[in-house]
Amino acid sequence: MSGDPFHATRAHDGRAPDVFHPGGWVPMRQYRESEPVDFAIVGTGAGGGTLACKLAEYGFSVVALDAGPYFRPLEDFASDESEQTKLYWTDDRIVDGANPLQLGGNNSGKAVGGSTVHFAMVSLRFRPEWFKSRTLLGYGADWPLDWREMWDYYTEVEQALKISGPVTYPWGPPRPRYPYRAHPLNGAARALAKGCEALGINWTETPLATLSAPRGLAHPCVYRGFCISGCSTNAKQSALVTWIPRAIAAGAEIRDLAMVGRVEVEPSGLVSGVHYHRDGVWRFQRARNVVVAGYAIETPRLLLNSATARFPEGLANSSGLVGKNLMAQSNQAVWGRLEHEVRSYKGPPSLAITEHWNYEDKGKDFFGGYSYMSQGPLPQLWANTLFSARGLWGESLVEAMKDYNHVVGLRIVGEMLPQESNRVSLADEVDQYGLRIPRVTYSWCDNDKRLIDHSLKFMSRALEAADADDIWIQDDDTCHLNGTARMGSDARTSVVDADCRSWDIPNLWICDGSVFPTVGGANPSLTIQAIACRTADRIRALARRGELNAAVPRQTSIRQRSTEVHRS
Amino acid sequence: MSPPAERDLLALAAIAASGVALVSLLSAASAPAGSSGPRRAPRRIRSGRAATVKTAQELNRAAGTLAASVLADSSVEHYRGSFKNKAMYTPLAVSALTLATSIHGTADMRPFAHKARDATYLLAAATGMIGSGFHLYNVGKRVGGFSWQNVFYGAPIGAPMAILLSGLLGFCSERVREAARTRPRIFGLPAGRTIAAVAGAGLLGTTGEAGLLHFRGAYHNPFMLLPVTLPPVGAALLLSAAAGGSGRTHRFTRGWMRVLTAMGLAGVGFHAYGVSRNMGGWRNWSQNILNGPPLPAPLSFTGLALAGLAALGLMRAHPDA
Ligand SMILES: Cc1cc2nc3c(=O)[nH]c(=O)nc-3n(C[C@H](O)[C@H](O)[C@H](O)COP(=O)(O)OP(=O)(O)OC[C@H]3O[C@@H](n4cnc5c(N)ncnc54)[C@H](O)[C@@H]3O)c2cc1C
Ligand code: SF4
Repeated sequence: MSGDPFHATRAHDGRAPDVFHPGGWVPMRQYRESEPVDFAIVGTGAGGGTLACKLAEYGFSVVALDAGPYFRPLEDFASDESEQTKLYWTDDRIVDGANPLQLGGNNSGKAVGGSTVHFAMVSLRFRPEWFKSRTLLGYGADWPLDWREMWDYYTEVEQALKISGPVTYPWGPPRPRYPYRAHPLNGAARALAKGCEALGINWTETPLATLSAPRGLAHPCVYRGFCISGCSTNAKQSALVTWIPRAIAAGAEIRDLAMVGRVEVEPSGLVSGVHYHRDGVWRFQRARNVVVAGYAIETPRLLLNSATARFPEGLANSSGLVGKNLMAQSNQAVWGRLEHEVRSYKGPPSLAITEHWNYEDKGKDFFGGYSYMSQGPLPQLWANTLFSARGLWGESLVEAMKDYNHVVGLRIVGEMLPQESNRVSLADEVDQYGLRIPRVTYSWCDNDKRLIDHSLKFMSRALEAADADDIWIQDDDTCHLNGTARMGSDARTSVVDADCRSWDIPNLWICDGSVFPTVGGANPSLTIQAIACRTADRIRALARRGELNAAVPRQTSIRQRSTEVHRS
Repeated sequence: MSPPAERDLLALAAIAASGVALVSLLSAASAPAGSSGPRRAPRRIRSGRAATVKTAQELNRAAGTLAASVLADSSVEHYRGSFKNKAMYTPLAVSALTLATSIHGTADMRPFAHKARDATYLLAAATGMIGSGFHLYNVGKRVGGFSWQNVFYGAPIGAPMAILLSGLLGFCSERVREAARTRPRIFGLPAGRTIAAVAGAGLLGTTGEAGLLHFRGAYHNPFMLLPVTLPPVGAALLLSAAAGGSGRTHRFTRGWMRVLTAMGLAGVGFHAYGVSRNMGGWRNWSQNILNGPPLPAPLSFTGLALAGLAALGLMRAHPDA
C-alpha cells in the first residue's frame, strides 16, 4: 500500500500514482501557482476529467483540482461495501422539499475521477428529440446543441472508453458499432429479457463502460459485482483510469485533496484563478480560465460561494438561475422472487435494459421517458433496502435475507422535469473548510409522479411475466443529479452557452452534469463526457480565432510533451 | 522484468512447448519401420503401398491432433459448465478414445484397415454430429434465441465439429491404408482430393468459429486477425488442389499448410498470453484458464493443416488419388 490517500496528497513532486501498477508512479508536470495556467479545472469527474485530458492534448496548460483523494484501485479498493463508502461525498448538506433527496452513495463521488469511480457504467446516448424537447415533444427546454453533432462526440467517448455494447442497438438512429462486445447476461438480466419478450417490447444488453476484453494495461471484467463500490480490477473505464492518465501524459497537472472554496474575480470582471485548500492551508492558483466541474450540487455552491460586490448573487448568475432547475432522475424499482436461483449480484448491476418507453410516445400519460434495467444489489445494500423501503427488521429481515439469491429487480432511470423551485442554495452552516454548505430542495411535480406510476405498473407486469412472485415496489428513490447551471441560447434563460461558457464572465466555464437543460430517461455520464469533448473542440477553435483568454496552444506531439513532463 | 511477468512468460513457454511435444510425439510415433513386432510392415512393399500407409499415418496424426484439442477443450469447457448434463462427459471419453486410436494408427505400419479404429472414428464422427445438435439446441433455447449474445456465450456451435472432423479424417485414413494394392479411394472418390476437400472445408468451418469468438473479443489484439485470414487462403488452395488436374506439385499449398501448422501452435501461445491478461494472470490460473481464451482451440488448425499435408503427399505419390 502506498500511504493513506485521505491524509496525504499523492499527486505532487512531479509525479502522480500509476493506477495500473501497484505502488507505481507516472511523471506529472507541475505548474507554479504564481504563473497563470490556461485552465484551472475544479473537479476531475466525467466532465472535468474529460475536459482536462482533451485540453491538455490540445496543448493548453491545465491544472485540475479535486477535493477527493487519488485512489489506486488495485490496492485501495476492497470487496467490502462498508469500507467502500469512502468513495462518496458525505460532507454535510441540508435536504428539504416535499421529496427530499437522499444524498450520498447513490448520487455523488469525491475522488480523482469523480462519481465515475463508483458509477454503474451504463453508457447511453440521449434520444435525439430530447435535445429539442420543448419544440418537438412539448415539455422542458431546448438544448442549444444539435443531436447530429452530439452523435459524433458520443462516438468519440464510446471509443475512448471502449464501451461494451450490443452488436446492433435497437433504438434511435444508426450509430457505429460499440468498440467492445456485450457482456454475458446474468440471471437478473435474463429475467428482464424474459419479461420484455412476454410483453412484446425490445430489450438489449446494456452498453457498459467496463471491458469485455483486455485493453492496454486494464483487465477485462471479472463479474464479481462490486462496480458501485469501486472496481478493483480496473475493468471499469472510469475517468480515473481513462481520461486522467491521458491528461497527465499530455502535460496536465492533477491536484488531489484540493478543495476549491472560491473562484477569484478581478476588478475587470474576469476570473483570475481559484482559492483552494490543500495540505492544511488555503492557496491560490492563477489561471486565465476557470472551469467549474463539481457536479450539480457543488458547482452551484461554488459559484454562489464566490459572490463578490460586483456579483452579489454569485458568479454567472445574472439570469438568477444558478442552482435552479436541479433535476434528479427517478430511480424506483420493482422487486420479486424467482423460484430458481438468480444470484443477481454477479457481474455489473445492470446487464440488460429496455429503452422502450424512452422512444415510444404512444400510451403515455406523462411527458418524458424512462428506461429500466435489471438490478444486482450487494447484500448490505439489499438489507438496507429491505429495511428502508419495506420496513423489515429483526427476525423478518433475517428471513427475507435468506431469499437474497432468488431476488430479481427492475429499476427505472426516469426523466424528471426541470422546475425552478428544485434548487441548490446556500445554508448558513459551514463545513470543515469554513464554506457555507448547500441546501438541496426537491419536490416531484405531477408529471414526475405520473411517470413513476406508469413505470411501476409496467415493471410489475414485466416481473409477473417473468414468473416472479412476492412482487413489491420501492417507490422512493432517485439518482443522477443534473441541471443547476443550464445551457441555452439566451443569456436571460440560461447560465452557459452551448460551449459551456458562462454568459456573464467570458473566461468562466461550467462543464459537468449541471449544464443539462433536461435529463431524459437515460443515464447521463456519456452525454457529460460528449459535451466535454465538444467543449474542448470549441475552446481550441475559439483560441485559434483569438477569442479566448489563453495562449494559442502549440501543436506539440504527446511524445514531445511527455519529455517536457520529465524535464519539468 | 517483474516476477509475475516472468511467470507469465514461463507458463506461456510451457504451454507452447507442450503443444510442440504433442505434435512431435504423434510424429515420432510414425517413425519408419525397423522395429520388430506385430505392427511391422510386410517385407515386399511397393512404393505405392509405402505411400498409402505413410499418408494414413499422417492422417491418424492429424485426427489425433484434433482429438487432443477436443479432449482438452471440452474438458475445460464442460468442467466450466459443471457437467450439468451427464452427456457432457461423452466428448471427453470419445476424444480420449480417438486420441488413443490415432496414436495406435500413427504407430501402425500395416497396410490394413483396423476394425476397432474404424469403429472409434465413426463413433467420433457421430459424437460430433450429435454434439452439434446439442449445442444448437442449447443456444436456441436461451432467452433471445439465436442472437449474438447466445452464439457468443451459449455452447460454442462449431466446437463439436472438431471431433466430427477428427472422426472423418481417421475414417479416411483407414480407407487410404487399406488401398495399398488399389488406387486409394473414399466412397468411390479419389482419396487425396477428397481429404484435401474435407480439410479445406474443415479449415473454413474452424475459421468461422475463430472469427465468431475473436469478434466477441473485438479483435483487441491485431494478431487475432491471423486465424481468420490465413486459413481461408489455405482452404482455397486445398480446394483448388482437390479440383485441379494431376501432375501439379502444390509446393505453395504445402508451404501454406506448414504455415498453418505453425500458426495453430503459436495460437496456443497467444491464448496463454490471453489468459495472463485477465486479473491475476497465471497466478490465478485456476480461474483464468476458464475465463481466458481456450488454450487448446488453435490446435484444430494444426490438425487440419496436417491433414492437408497428408492429402497433398498422397496426391504426389498417387497422381490419380
Ligand atoms: C452510484 C452511482 C451510480 C451511477 N451510475 C451511473 C451510470 O450507470 N451511468 C451514468 O451515466 N451515470 C451514472 N452515475 C452518474 C454519473 O456518475 C454522474 O452523472 C457523473 O459522474 C457526473 O459527472 P460530473 O463531472 O458532473 O461530476 P463528478 O463525476 O461527480 O465529478 C465531480 C468532482 O468534482 C469534485 N469537486 C466538487 N466540488 C469541488 C470543489 N469545490 N473543489 C474541488 N473539487 C470539487 C468532486 O470531488 C468530484 O470528484 C452514477 C452515479 C452514482 C453515484
Ligand atoms: S463486475 Fe466488472 S466492472 Fe464491476 S467491479 Fe467487478 S470487474 Fe469491476
